[in-house]
Formats: sequence, structure tokens, C-alpha cells
Amino acid sequence: MHSEHFIQTDVLVVGGGSAGTMAALEAKKQGVDVVLVDKAGIYRSGCGAAGNDHFLSVLETGPDWDTPEVFLKWYQRLTQGLVDTKIAENTFLKRSKQLTVELEEMGIPMKEGEDGGYIRTRSFAQPGDYFINFDGRALKPKISKIAESAGVKFITNVAVVDLLTNQGKVVGAVGFHIRTGEFYIFQAKAVVLATGNATRMYENPSGLPFNAWHSPYNTGSAQAMALRAGAEVKNPEFVNYTITPKNFSASALNAVVGMGGYLVNAKGERYVFKYHEKGEQGPRWAMPWGTYWEEVEGRGPCYFDLRHLSDSAKKHLIEHLLPVDKNTFMDYCEQKGIDPGTDLMEVQISEGQHPAFLGSVSGIFVDEHCRTTVPGLYAGGACAVGIGSLAGSMCFGQAAGAEAGAYAQGTEMSELVQPQVDELRELTYAPMSSRGDFNYTEAENKLRQIMSDYVSISRNEEGLAAGLSELKALKKLFGQIKAENGHDLMRTHELRDLLLISKAITTGALDRKESRFGLSHYRRDFPETKEEWHKSTHLSLKDGVLNIRYVEPYN
Amino acid sequence: MLPIQIDYKRCNGCGICEKNCPGDLIYSDEKTGLPYIKYPDECWFCGACRIDCPKNCLDIKFPLTSL
Ligand SMILES: Cc1cc2nc3c(=O)[nH]c(=O)nc-3n(C[C@H](O)[C@H](O)[C@H](O)COP(=O)(O)OP(=O)(O)OC[C@H]3O[C@@H](n4cnc5c(N)ncnc54)[C@H](O)[C@@H]3O)c2cc1C
Ligand code: SF4
Ligand code: SF4
Repeated sequence: MHSEHFIQTDVLVVGGGSAGTMAALEAKKQGVDVVLVDKAGIYRSGCGAAGNDHFLSVLETGPDWDTPEVFLKWYQRLTQGLVDTKIAENTFLKRSKQLTVELEEMGIPMKEGEDGGYIRTRSFAQPGDYFINFDGRALKPKISKIAESAGVKFITNVAVVDLLTNQGKVVGAVGFHIRTGEFYIFQAKAVVLATGNATRMYENPSGLPFNAWHSPYNTGSAQAMALRAGAEVKNPEFVNYTITPKNFSASALNAVVGMGGYLVNAKGERYVFKYHEKGEQGPRWAMPWGTYWEEVEGRGPCYFDLRHLSDSAKKHLIEHLLPVDKNTFMDYCEQKGIDPGTDLMEVQISEGQHPAFLGSVSGIFVDEHCRTTVPGLYAGGACAVGIGSLAGSMCFGQAAGAEAGAYAQGTEMSELVQPQVDELRELTYAPMSSRGDFNYTEAENKLRQIMSDYVSISRNEEGLAAGLSELKALKKLFGQIKAENGHDLMRTHELRDLLLISKAITTGALDRKESRFGLSHYRRDFPETKEEWHKSTHLSLKDGVLNIRYVEPYN
Repeated sequence: MLPIQIDYKRCNGCGICEKNCPGDLIYSDEKTGLPYIKYPDECWFCGACRIDCPKNCLDIKFPLTSL
């Protein structure tokens, strides 16, 4: 029997990354009790654990592009109308300028220019220089400290397993301590989900599944919990790829193309122009798409080429961007024996995942008030569809926290349903008493094999159907995974969530008889983008079955 | 080879690397109180363990297949 903790609060925030920490702080500012729970340590957790270097912001400094209107128009085009731009307007655009100033006041170096001003660059087809280049190594610990000092109660090393509901409303959540195994029951008036993206469901080119582009410890828990609680998940079939250095999943592409770096093939030709009129300044998806075809048609390997950059651009990139974006970037270069300024750096198409970078259209469906379709349940950051990126997630989280705080103020605490708590306790610990003899690694490897074989870059009807039945078979084996300790239990529950996310991806992909967003959803049997498919998939879960409804694009 | 290498002559056992690791891979040895990586196959190579190490005694070593 594991010991139990019961925690009551007005607002519960699940996941203390970039979005969740801001959500908790903002809810606290409304004067309510706030608990922030994370399976990691919060001060350094999530995608921003070891620092970020680009802060998206619309500062309204004068030029046309630096206005909310131009930004929104571009964002609408980028997401092809599959994202409601009211969310970006209400969360990001209302806050990014103010947040930029606040971060500076907190002591985060935002103005890194020689003239004491901002250094701003653009990438991924942006109409202007929206990305402030900054030194964000201390960002995560700093905002965590501010949230904790403001009175947010931190609960660390507790993985949340599922939400608690009562009469269609979310009333709390349950989880367990990832070392001691102790059980946690949370009762709350409102819950904000902010557990980030979904990774580890596709094979990694290096063979190391945790060597992932975004945090490998984010496994789509929020999306899976939201589905199980009755909320909707949008467009899961669009799996995201990027370009990373060979065998090393550093998210360097933004920095490289932002500074004017090139992508070249084995013949030394810049190839992205063949696939998008803007070349390396095109949207992110154009680069994995072009690289895929260069390799398929025998012109690989492909490379980052920075040799033409000026000395000052190289210095900025190598000293200020790449090692801040990924703290171990220069260790990789050194151990591989390359100098990024003078040598070509081989690249690869990353593993597939669901990160909410800017322009992503997949995740929990929320409205412009960050509300899911279930009362009492809010979401923000990379787990939800709204606005991606670091700054986008922070603002999205802030807005979700403010909305949840205001809702909690006008709501009574609802009772927990005891049989539901008992059932979830049993489900949580089932892997500890399993008589099966699989460990989580074996089962997770099988998941990656299925997804990579049938549901990855090149899709067709028969393959997707085969993938779906393989996933069903794997789900049946889930009860045979044995967990020996809290760590195993955490990984096993991550797999439970990944299985549902994978099923959602496959279900959406099987139904969508067209191709869209480059490699994200490329159906060999329906290679064209079709007007009749210009709409969003909305999935919901009922009695274990995923149901689809389609929603027209926002114009 | 382990992805993080700790110089135990300099390590003061402060536990910051253990707290920082976003995947909870680092544990303290019960006897010595010093950190070690318990789940090396689950390393993200993120550097969060190293970034705040007060003794600067932690190195990241990439496995051959990630180079
Ligand atoms: C190396 C790297 C560099 C980047 N650099 C930039 C950049 O410079 N600019 C930019 O715009 N974007 C950047 N990004 C993207 C950006 O960091 C993310 O978009 C952003 O951090 C997402 O915030 P989030 O709060 O949604 O998720 P995260 O910050 O990842 O937080 C998710 C949190 O949820 C917790 N969690 C997960 N599951 C559970 C569970 N079941 N129970 C409890 N807790 C759970 C995790 O431990 C984590 O703390 C970068 C990403 C990476 C990986
Ligand atoms: S590099 Fe990152 S994932 Fe690996 S041990 Fe250090 S903190 Fe943990
Ligand atoms: S942070 Fe550095 S000094 Fe502290 S325990 Fe870890 S390795 Fe040792």
C-alpha cells in the first residue's frame, strides 16, 4: 500500500515548463491558491531546461511588419487557417511586448546588441524580424523562483496520470511520486494542462530514442488526459519534422537560417529553392521536405553551410545562439571534430514528433480563453493548439492561468467521486503488480517500430490500417509490462499516453485522403493537397473509440 | 561509456545536477552521497545537469552513434 497525499487548491497547473510556470504565476496574481505539479524539478525542466535563445515578440517599433495585424495575417497563412488566430491575438499579441520588458526587469539579458538594443532576426517565412536573440540560459530558474516566491505551491517529482471529473466537469487529478511511488490526489476548482509536446513515438535516426529534438520526457500526457476526460484533440495526423545536425537532435535550424545559413546537397547546390520559392527563408516544413527528396533522388547527404557568413555573424551564431539553444552544441562539434564556421555540417531529418513550434496545428483544442470543451479544464503551451514557440507558450500559459484563476474565483469546489479515485489508484499501480515479463523499454521499442514502419513519412491506406491493428495488439500487451519502481512506473505511464497519441495520429492520417504540410502528412496514395480537405480533424474519445468530426478552416 | 562523466575529486555532492535533470536520471549514491547516472540510456544530452554545477566537474560525452 502506497501512502497518500491529498491536496486541495483553487487552481491546479499540471506541468511546470515554460507555459505552466507562467500559468501558475498568473493565476496566483488573481489571489487564488495555486499548486504547480511536475514530474521533474521545475527549476530546470521541460524544453527550456537548459536555456533558449530566440524570443518571439511583436514590439510595435514602427515598421508595418512589427504590428499585430501583419503578424496575424502571416500566422493565418502559415497555419493555413487551421488555427483560430483569435487565440494568438488574445494570448500572445496582448502580452509579448509586456513580457519582453518584464523579462528584462527580471535580469534576463534581452538587449544583446552592440548598441544596447535588441538583436532581432527572422526565420520560417516571417514577414519581419520577430525573433529577439537573447541569452535565456537563466530563464527557467528565474521564472520558477518568481512563481515560488509569489506563493505558488510547487510539487515536484510527481507524474500526473489522469484527471478527475464529476458530472462532466474537471475537479482534480491523480498522480504518483516518481521515486517513492506515493499517491497524490488533487482536488481543484480549475485545472490547467501544460505538459508540452509528445515525443518518443518514432525511431530516432541515431538509434537513441531519448536523443530527441524536443524534450523526450514530454510524452503527450496532457493531450491523452484531455481525451480521456472528454476534451478534443485537433489535427494529430500532422507529425512534425525538422532538420538537425546528423545524429544530434539539437533544434539549431532556427538559429542557422535566421543568420542566413544555407542548406546544400552532396553536389554543393542550395536545394531548398526547388521546393519553396523562399528557399531557406521558407516555412520550416519546406526544409525536411526538400531534404527528403534530395536524399531519395540520390543527392544526399545534405549539409548546413555557414562558410559564407561574415565573421561577426559566425561569432554570434557559434558563441551566442547555438550553445544557448542547446547547451551541449559545441561539445557535439568538438567530439565530432567539426568547426561549424569552416566545415560543412551534415544534417538529417529528425524523428517525428508533436512539438508546437510556431505554426504547428496539432494538440488540445481550446478557444481564445484557453478553455477546452470540458468545463473547468484549461490548456496552454505546446500541448494545445494556439501559438507555439517559447514566447508563444509563455504568453499562452499566462493567459490560461489568468482565465483559470478568474473561473476559480467564481466557482465552488466540487466533490471528488470516490469510486473514480479508487479506480485510478488501481490503474496507476497495476504495472507494479503485473505478472507479465516485458519491461517498458521493450514495449516502447515496439511502439516506435510500428509508428516508424507504418505511420511515418510515407503513408498509404494499407500501411496505416496495418499500423492501427498493430497498435491495438500492442495495447493488449500493455498489462504485461512490469514496473519495479517509481521510475519504471513513470515510463510505463508515459507509454500509456503515447499509445493513445499514436492511435490518434494513425486514425487522423487514415481518414485524411490528401497530403498537406510537406512530410507532416504525406499520403503516397493521395499526394495532392485538396481543397475539400482544407479543414481540421477534431478527435474525441468515447468508450475507448476515437471519433472524428471535421471543422471548417478559420478565415 | 556514460553520457555524463563526473570528476569525483572535485564534486562536492551538492545534488544540483540530480535536481536539475529533466528526466530524473541522476541519483545519489546512498553511501557516498555523490551523484551517478542511473539511467544512461535515457539521456537527452541537454546539459541541464552541467549548467549549474558549482564545481564545474561534469562533462558530457556523446555515444558514438550520436556523433
Ligand atoms: C533545446 C530547445 C531549445 C529551444 N529553443 C527555443 C527558442 O530559442 N525559442 C523558441 O521560441 N522556442 C524554443 N524551443 C521551444 C520551446 O522551448 C517550447 O516551445 C516551450 O518550452 C514549450 O513550453 P511548454 O510549457 O508547453 O512545455 P515544456 O516547457 O516542455 O514543459 C512541459 C513540462 O511538463 C512536465 N510534464 C510532462 N508530462 C508530465 C506529467 N504527466 N505529469 C507532470 N508533469 C509532466 C515536464 O516535466 C515539463 O516540465 C526550444 C526547444 C528545445 C527543446
Ligand atoms: S544531459 Fe540532461 S538528460 Fe542527460 S543526465 Fe544531464 S540533465 Fe539529465
Ligand atoms: S552539481 Fe556538480 S558538484 Fe554538485 S553534485 Fe552534481 S557534479 Fe557534484
